Amino acid sequence: MSVNEQDQGAPIVPGSPLARALGEYAVPGLSAGFADRVLAAAETRPAPLPDLRRQHGTRGWRWGRGIAIGVVSFGALASAAAATGMLERFAIPVPSAQKVWASLTGKSAAEAVASPSAPSQPARLAQAKIAGPIDTPEELSEAFRRIDDVREHRRAVRRDRVDQRIASAIERRQAAGLPALTPEEEAALRAKITAAQARRDQLANDRIAARREDLQRKVESGEALTREDIVRPAPEDADAPERRERLRQWRGLSPEQRREALRQLPLEERRALIENYRTRRTGDAPRVPQTPVEAETPAQFETPAVPAD
Amino acid sequence: MNASGQPSTSALPVAPPGDDAALAARLAARDPEALREVIAHHAAVLHRTAFRMTGDAHEAEDIVQEACLRLWDQAPKIAARHPLGRQPAAALRLGAWLQRVVTNLAIDRLRRARRLADGDVPDHADEAPLADRLLEAGERDDTARALIAALPERQRAAIVLTYYEELSNAEAAEAMELNIKAFESLLHRARAALRQAWTAQGGAS
Repeated sequence: MSVNEQDQGAPIVPGSPLARALGEYAVPGLSAGFADRVLAAAETRPAPLPDLRRQHGTRGWRWGRGIAIGVVSFGALASAAAATGMLERFAIPVPSAQKVWASLTGKSAAEAVASPSAPSQPARLAQAKIAGPIDTPEELSEAFRRIDDVREHRRAVRRDRVDQRIASAIERRQAAGLPALTPEEEAALRAKITAAQARRDQLANDRIAARREDLQRKVESGEALTREDIVRPAPEDADAPERRERLRQWRGLSPEQRREALRQLPLEERRALIENYRTRRTGDAPRVPQTPVEAETPAQFETPAVPAD
Repeated sequence: MNASGQPSTSALPVAPPGDDAALAARLAARDPEALREVIAHHAAVLHRTAFRMTGDAHEAEDIVQEACLRLWDQAPKIAARHPLGRQPAAALRLGAWLQRVVTNLAIDRLRRARRLADGDVPDHADEAPLADRLLEAGERDDTARALIAALPERQRAAIVLTYYEELSNAEAAEAMELNIKAFESLLHRARAALRQAWTAQGGAS
């Protein structure tokens, strides 16, 4: 904190121009009969609701509750014993979860444990929703944490997609009879992709850090933030829907098909796209279409007007 | 006025230890005279706070009335928690309780009014005077009112409680349900914002 800022927050000195100005804030007195009005309102005010009483159930339910608690406790103890390997010490076989699932579905255990190609959305994101304005640093930190969760998830999806593309590119080369990549070449390619991704992440992190500092300052100054303050919707222009649709179509194409689709565009539009791509590569201009302020838009805020990729 | 920012004698009417507990017991027994005594002791202070926070005399009276009625409603519970002749009874301060309720009600109403007036939360407090304020431009207190009104709700409460009502930082923090460090930080920002607004209006601090 600078000396000037400290002075700004110093106590207001009596007799100073500011103190004199504040002292002129006159307050009117209470209106006549105020006490009588309050007393009248108190007399006609309905009695406050009584405290909620604990529901006393029937005798049967009390038994049922006891049984339910017993079953749950036994289950918890048994699970703990199985997890710590205590049952195996007494030669009691404990089937693994995969085996149980395979026996239920009729599939082999290997199939049952096969992981999906894309990592699933983090479970806690489903319940991630902040109601009302964000006006405390704790709420803001929670919002940032949720956003970071989504960003991490998206990074994982992106990494997975890159791996798939490299694998399919190698397959295509093999199918075309081209010489296969040596392990060194493949490692170099992956390192290059990783470096590009790190560069891109760094740019996004810088932008987000600056924006977050601004938001934190606002919250600390007592302002309440809405979802729109944190995740600004992407600006809409006349071409935005068309651009989004084109991006959606191109995403499913191979690089060759994508290049061909680019060649089919009108000359001016093609030049504009290429120019925009170049400026994005240099990192000194916003993307078109622009992503929301929190670049990796969180799913819980449900605002991604434009996909991040 | 607590211009130096040092803890000062509270401006809240302070009853001898145990008196507020006796008053609470009478309120719990539904004694209207007890409520009249509470109003006589505390309403003026509460009204000043509410008025300086909202800038509206009717709204301020409404807030004070609501606070008194809440005390009327809650009196049985308060009296039960502070039984006469016991140690907790001496700690009961109805003035502080009412001040806390009034501050919270005023902040709530200001926030609600802002939401109703404009769906978007502005990045910064709107310092432009409203049309009706412009009509009152000739009044002497207009500058002070505009300065206070330009502050966000919580900063406004911090200034009103410490500067105008001369509560100590600890009492004001209690009224705003903040810990003392958080309150002092809020008060620091409030004074800085006040000075900036004052400088922007051409004033010299």
